[in-house]
Amino acid sequence: MAVLYWAAANARGIVGGTPIEESVSWVPSLDLALSLRVDGYSLVFLLVVAGAGLPIFLYSNHYFSRSSRATTFAATMTLFAGAMVGLVGSDHLLSLFVFWELTTIASYLLIGFDDQKAAARSAALHAALVTGAGGLAMLGGLVLLAGQAGTYSLAEIVSSPPAQSGAVTVAWALILLGAVTKSAQFPFHAWLPGAMAAPTPASAFLHSATMVKAGIFLVGRLGGAASATTDWWLPAVLAIGFTTMVLGGWRALRQTDLKLLLAFGTLSQLGFIFLLVGSGIPEMVFGGLAILVGHALFKATLFLVVGTIDHEVGTRDLRRLSGLWKSMPILFVIALAASLSMAALPLTLGFAAKEVAFDGLLKQNMPLIAAAAVASVLTVAYTARFLNGAFGRHHENAEPALANGATPRNMLSWAPASLAAASLLLGLMPGTLFGIIDEATRSVTGVLGAGKLALWPGWVPALGWSMASLTVGGFLAWRSAIVDRATAVVGAAARRFPTAEGTYRRSIPAMVTFADKSSGILQNGSLPTYLGTILLVAIGAPTVAVLANQPQFEIPRAGSLLEWLLGLLIVGFAVSLAFIRRRFAVVILLGGVGYGIAGLYSVLGGPDLTLTQLLVETLTIALFAFVLRQLPAVFAKPATARLPRLGVAMLVGAFIFGAGLLVNAARTSETVSTTYLANALPEAGGSNVVNVILVDFRGFDTLGEITVLVAATLGVAGLVLPVIRARRQA
Amino acid sequence: MNPHRPSGILEAGVLAVTGPLLVFSIYLLFAGHNQPGGGFAGGLVAGVAVLLVWSAGGLETVRRVLPVRSSALLGIGLLIAAATGFASLLPGFGFLESGYVEFTVPAFGKVKLVSALFFDIGVYLVVVGMALGLVRSLGNEGKVEDSGT
Repeated sequence: MAVLYWAAANARGIVGGTPIEESVSWVPSLDLALSLRVDGYSLVFLLVVAGAGLPIFLYSNHYFSRSSRATTFAATMTLFAGAMVGLVGSDHLLSLFVFWELTTIASYLLIGFDDQKAAARSAALHAALVTGAGGLAMLGGLVLLAGQAGTYSLAEIVSSPPAQSGAVTVAWALILLGAVTKSAQFPFHAWLPGAMAAPTPASAFLHSATMVKAGIFLVGRLGGAASATTDWWLPAVLAIGFTTMVLGGWRALRQTDLKLLLAFGTLSQLGFIFLLVGSGIPEMVFGGLAILVGHALFKATLFLVVGTIDHEVGTRDLRRLSGLWKSMPILFVIALAASLSMAALPLTLGFAAKEVAFDGLLKQNMPLIAAAAVASVLTVAYTARFLNGAFGRHHENAEPALANGATPRNMLSWAPASLAAASLLLGLMPGTLFGIIDEATRSVTGVLGAGKLALWPGWVPALGWSMASLTVGGFLAWRSAIVDRATAVVGAAARRFPTAEGTYRRSIPAMVTFADKSSGILQNGSLPTYLGTILLVAIGAPTVAVLANQPQFEIPRAGSLLEWLLGLLIVGFAVSLAFIRRRFAVVILLGGVGYGIAGLYSVLGGPDLTLTQLLVETLTIALFAFVLRQLPAVFAKPATARLPRLGVAMLVGAFIFGAGLLVNAARTSETVSTTYLANALPEAGGSNVVNVILVDFRGFDTLGEITVLVAATLGVAGLVLPVIRARRQA
Repeated sequence: MNPHRPSGILEAGVLAVTGPLLVFSIYLLFAGHNQPGGGFAGGLVAGVAVLLVWSAGGLETVRRVLPVRSSALLGIGLLIAAATGFASLLPGFGFLESGYVEFTVPAFGKVKLVSALFFDIGVYLVVVGMALGLVRSLGNEGKVEDSGT
């Protein structure tokens, strides 16, 4: 089991540790090329997946040490990690979609991992429905986009985006919808807090560091192309990101569950990254990517810290925790380090990243800088709430209720510690990250040196905004009572507005009702209706197509007297059986039709066909007789009720007749019979061409057919024998 | 056609033709490669024979005359057919591409053995198995009422 973790984790580590800046393309001989291309932009995401993944895999090894389902968990996490790596490395739009959906599936399994709990199951379903629906919309968008651009290659679309048109606009909107659902942006954000039902390592990996970044990956990759070809893309991305950013930060202030607090904080950060990276403006993309890396590091750390608290103390409710800084000092230091980065205090990676982001916004003269500052204030406030809630001493009498009373010494603290250390180190030496992010920005926007990561940015306007928001945030953190009162008031006022969660809950019964009603109409269980629909569509569509293309029909030859007689006999049988009420007579007449056709074969010189047709007909009548024994002797309804069916049947007949004449007239190449006739004896050693076709030339078909025979026979036996057995016992 | 009271004359007559029918079906199977017939037609003739036996004597008689399980026929038949297909891969032919050898059997004459014959035997067995299986399941007397047909 541990080997599995190690293998998975190391593989991730190798992938991430080796900077593959060159394009790697690999195209198997499938129709759907699986082309992988890792450029600087993908590399950032790969590094995040691998860098956050390795400690989290090690962590989950210990988190689940006593659980028998650890293997399942590790396998699903590995599936997810693999899908994520594939997603960021895909160059083909459709393989990107496949990996995208794989992450949705893995996420569903992980959120619902605790499958005994109804809440976990419904949260998993919520996430799967929202991201799945978004994924489908995105698929539509990708196909449209590829159709307009004439290629499925992501790189080619980015380098030469399709010209502005209605279809392209729709495509961008659908793709944006996919990205918005995946990255839990407003108004589809509600699944992310719900997803906190997942085991904490999964939350840390999927719902903070990686999966939710998939949508950002997509908007970042396509943002430049999209804003070049539509004029609403930029405002839409900015508005969505802005709303999510402020909403998430605000709601984080009201949470009492540490994990939910982090989840709403994640929403806020994601909104910020979304609007930065999705804008396609070099300076903002640079800042967004820097924040993305910083966020992955500190948020994964904090999630793991919460996981450890939950694991050791048995609760993550900040109203019940108290004084943990004393009993878990190491964990406190780790959380403190990560929190400093989250609140973007100087000397941390979070600070350096936010500096460039602010700088980017300022260079673009974005009034959004004010909004970003507000979000920063909220971030500082909820960071303080997190730290204080988790580790601070709240009540004098209640000592921390430690479940096993010991400070965790194993991976439960080392994994978050390493992440926090990375966060600090990169903050002190931001230069190491600079090259990677610069290259990443270049690969999506084509501009190098759009920003700079520095330990200390110097006295620039961005610093003023940072400092101002830190000060106000610090004040709010100090006077947390103000925040509590404000959130309570606004919360009460906001109750009148529909929430995203409520809308989702209301939409589910509506969806079920719709599915119920529509399938009641479409799948009404009537065999004649199904058959009629299928037949009419089958003859209708080709008829329209043929008539639109000035068909030429072959004039049939006159035929001999015998052929005419047999034909009349067949038609007579066929028409008369529509007016007969006795079932058995109908079957006999059907048999008559079959024998008549056998006669025609014989006249036209096909002894093999005649023989087979006669035998099949005989057997079919006998089988009909078996079944008829169980049915009433006469049809319940008068024969006139079947007249519409007679109409359908005649239409089908006319269609086949016309098709026969048309196909003969439209022949462009020699008939296959000639080759068959020529090759039957020398190649297959048989002079009966029909048989040689069956067993050799088209032998594979025959094999398939007899397989169907076997399956059908077993199916009949499976349906009938239990009934008979039950009747015997009754 | 009431399986509960089989007619003695019918039963005797049917049993008299069953043997020749089965022989004929096997003839069709072997002749098929060069003359009308083949595994499918042969199997159908054998299937008709099974039906005749059933109509004369009911399921009991079918069991007595053909004491094999239909599922065994189906399985073995499919196996033989598929195995023939794969076997033709071995000498480098395509899937199911047939080869043949000619040799002389003393006192019999020249015989041409085509690998497709084995495939046809598989088809034959599956078709017979189907007829037998359907008779066994649908021809069961476990019905509630006789509908008077």
